[in-house]
Amino acid sequence: MNLDWLDAFLVSGLFFVVMIIGLALLLHIQLGLARIANFGVVGFWGIGMYSFGVLFVKVDWPFGDPWPFLISAAFGSVVAGLSGLLVGWLIADLDEDGVLVGTLGFATAVWILATTEQDLTGGALGMGGLRFPYDIGTVKANETLWLVLLIIVVALILYYVHRVHRAPYGRLLTAIGDNEPLARSLGKATFRTKIWLFAFASAGMGLLGAMYGVMERFLETANIGIDITLAAIVGLILGGTARVWGAVIGVAISVGVFDILVQSYLPLPRDWYSQAIPVLREAIFGAVLIIVLLFRPLGVLGDMRRDKLMRSMHGD
Amino acid sequence: MSETPGTPMLKAEAIRSGYHGVTVIKGLDFEVGNEVFAVLGANGAGKTTLLATLARLIPLMGGRIQFRGEDVSDLPPYETAGRGIGYVPQEKGVFAELTVLENLTVGGMIGERSQDERMAEVFELFPDLETLQTQTAGTLSGGESRMVAAGRAMMQDPILLLLDEPTAGLSPLYVDMFFEKITEIHETRGVGIVLAEQNATKALEVADRVMVLSLGEAFLIEAATELTTKQLKEGYRI
Ligand SMILES: Nc1ncnc2c1ncn2[C@@H]1O[C@H](COP(=O)(O)OP(=O)(O)OP(=O)(O)O)[C@@H](O)[C@H]1O
Ligand SMILES: [Mg+2]
Repeated sequence: MNLDWLDAFLVSGLFFVVMIIGLALLLHIQLGLARIANFGVVGFWGIGMYSFGVLFVKVDWPFGDPWPFLISAAFGSVVAGLSGLLVGWLIADLDEDGVLVGTLGFATAVWILATTEQDLTGGALGMGGLRFPYDIGTVKANETLWLVLLIIVVALILYYVHRVHRAPYGRLLTAIGDNEPLARSLGKATFRTKIWLFAFASAGMGLLGAMYGVMERFLETANIGIDITLAAIVGLILGGTARVWGAVIGVAISVGVFDILVQSYLPLPRDWYSQAIPVLREAIFGAVLIIVLLFRPLGVLGDMRRDKLMRSMHGD
Repeated sequence: MSETPGTPMLKAEAIRSGYHGVTVIKGLDFEVGNEVFAVLGANGAGKTTLLATLARLIPLMGGRIQFRGEDVSDLPPYETAGRGIGYVPQEKGVFAELTVLENLTVGGMIGERSQDERMAEVFELFPDLETLQTQTAGTLSGGESRMVAAGRAMMQDPILLLLDEPTAGLSPLYVDMFFEKITEIHETRGVGIVLAEQNATKALEVADRVMVLSLGEAFLIEAATELTTKQLKEGYRI
């Protein structure tokens, strides 16, 4: 296949955007419906990526592709899911501050583990040896196919989130986010619902982490910093936490503009890319987050105005 | 003390409860049969705390609660709801972000009967809800919200309904309508009712028996017809 028309930067840029959309969609179920602010997205994503990568690289696989990848990715996803179960269990009954500290703390713990367990992870130097579970010719072709597979995975997540919105399960999550004691008094096992939600969302985040590891072919602790979480949260809040498409549109505007337009297509001086742009990006994301939280705590495009109005009327 | 009509549904033995070490309910003994059992008392007497304790939303500090002969003292609320205890809180009784219809269906998942059947009955009880179906509950008036909360509790086919000041802050017309509904729920659907109220006059019109709470203790438990104004005033400490 002739892929000359396709820019390699565009492929990796799109991969990043689509992946963050996936994370934002999973976060949407937690934050938008159940109102649990998970600030540890990168932790679940990262633990999935590292557990996948370590297994994939260190094991002397007796069978051929794509099995090593599939087994390792399933493993990464399960490890992420189990850590979600644990973190969910720890924070499910805490207030917002507790959830913030708990999830951020988890992400930090993952980062520390990846940095200090050098024998396994390569520490700060990183770990190579990851590869695509296929070879269809050129690097660019392999990467493009991987992007297509990611788009399929994220489309499935989008479809699932859509269904949740229409299902009793979605109403239950909204009810829990809205008024948990009331939901409990109606016979809902809210604690159990919340920890399973955490487990499943985390498993999905872990799978996206594994796919990202393959795309990069290299695991490094610099990748599992707060910026992944921030990108997902900023995108979601920008698009509106209450709507399914909020995650997609918000991330496309925020991360899309930066990682594709600015990074790839604006004629900026070369040395800006390593120095100024990442800093600028974090600063702008942070500023957007603060502004949105101050003035539209529940989203810019979301249908939350109604909610705000109502709250002000009821003095809540 | 007066007799419990019929076999007791709910039996509280020396129950104590409260918040973070503050004991609000200080050892209550009472039984509720298939009746309207009014819990009266001044502001802060502990009515809300008592009902939330019976709904198992607040843990017991001591004593036991039996429901239909079964000890439910240690059950989480999602288990007691399944056994037939419906609860309508004093405040924040609706899911503000869900529509009226969604609010009703969130509750209607216990027992055998079909959701449509229950829904039809709820609309029969509160016809206004039928026209409000698609409205977001957060935009309802105070009276409409109370109807949604009560309707949702009825969707669960409760055996015993705990109502915490269902008419506080409502206009007199609504208050009268609501008390008629309470009687209807009890008499035609056979649901036992525990009704926490400030409005003693209204409560005494519908109640079979009354417990006057005073600082977390039962000042008296008496048949509604036997209660004297003097007793009430003493119970309210006025
Ligand atoms: N969450 C809480 N934490 C600590 N104390 C509480 C809490 N809720 C209520 N209290 C205290 O418990 C006591 C009883 O309150 P409760 O709400 O049960 O009274 P009530 O009889 O329902 O009053 P009202 O008629 O005003 O609704 C009060 O002194 C109140 O200050
Ligand atoms: Mg009260």
